[in-house]
Amino acid sequence: MSLPQALDASALPSIIFTTAAQLVDCVDKRLLVILRDGRKLIGILRSFDQYANLVLQDTVERIVVDSLYNDQPRGVYIIRGENVVLVGQIDPEKESSPSMTEVSLDEIYAAQQKESDERKRKEEVKTGKLIDLGFSIEPQVEDLY
Amino acid sequence: MADVATADQLDDTVVSEPLDLVRLSLSERVFVKLKGDRELRGRLHGYDLHCNLVLSDVEETIYSLDPETEELKTVVKQSEMLFVRGDAVVLISPPQRT
Amino acid sequence: MLFFSFYKTLIDEVVIVELKNDMSVRGTLKSVDQFLNIKLDDISVLDEIKYPHLSSVKNIFIRGSVVRYVHLPAAVVDTTLLEDASRKEAAAQAAKAGGR
Repeated sequence: MSLPQALDASALPSIIFTTAAQLVDCVDKRLLVILRDGRKLIGILRSFDQYANLVLQDTVERIVVDSLYNDQPRGVYIIRGENVVLVGQIDPEKESSPSMTEVSLDEIYAAQQKESDERKRKEEVKTGKLIDLGFSIEPQVEDLY
Repeated sequence: MADVATADQLDDTVVSEPLDLVRLSLSERVFVKLKGDRELRGRLHGYDLHCNLVLSDVEETIYSLDPETEELKTVVKQSEMLFVRGDAVVLISPPQRT
Repeated sequence: MLFFSFYKTLIDEVVIVELKNDMSVRGTLKSVDQFLNIKLDDISVLDEIKYPHLSSVKNIFIRGSVVRYVHLPAAVVDTTLLEDASRKEAAAQAAKAGGR
């Protein structure tokens, strides 16, 4: 496609809706899905639509803190598209990542709690500093998006 | 109403709606404020009604907290060509005219 | 649809997508749709240490709504053309609003 043609909106006769940017390639494959709340799910994609609503089968939730992780079996998920951040296709050859260590559920929960406390504390310090400088601060929300 | 739109098209220096001011800033250096304590300075090359932007020679300034000293600091980043998603845009300031 | 068309001219170029959660991913732009959802091939995460869980992933689909920036190679962007296209799109919008 030549550039002038591509940029001229009127030259697009009826826009071909390449819905959800070809998630079709990912169907029946093992995927890593990251959600807006930071959760990471690994499962087999069985269905999707134009909003990137997804159906995952044999899903495990992977809790990751730095290089530690723990997998919890979860089953079938129907994910509402607006909560999806990204969908990654897992390369089976690189599946077992040596840089990460599997730990017990208790350990990962403890690490997760520590991380979230630290983040909250930093946020409070920052908000305090900004108020001192005369900024008006919106109520802090967990959701970055 | 149709007449107004036609008149605007004939004279593209008329500012009848806010985004017309952005149109007049095309190929000029603009200041953009974004959500999340970020500011951009760059040359505007493209925009749409969502305030999606394309800027070149961009200087991004991020106001954040230094993890060690816990003092406020500014981080400046450069980018040669940047697409900015409109939902993060707070304001677009046209270049200073004298 | 201006930026949808614009992105289609950038297919097969290497870009860096910065998400609103501060994660940056470099990859080859393979596909884009009308929501500006993006598909990248041969990806690498810029801060590998902070996001180790993506090391086994090679292709990703990014939902358009979570994108903050896309860093583009300046050489492949025809800025004059993009400016003209922006003016045209604005005129088309004005005509649409006027005709209502």
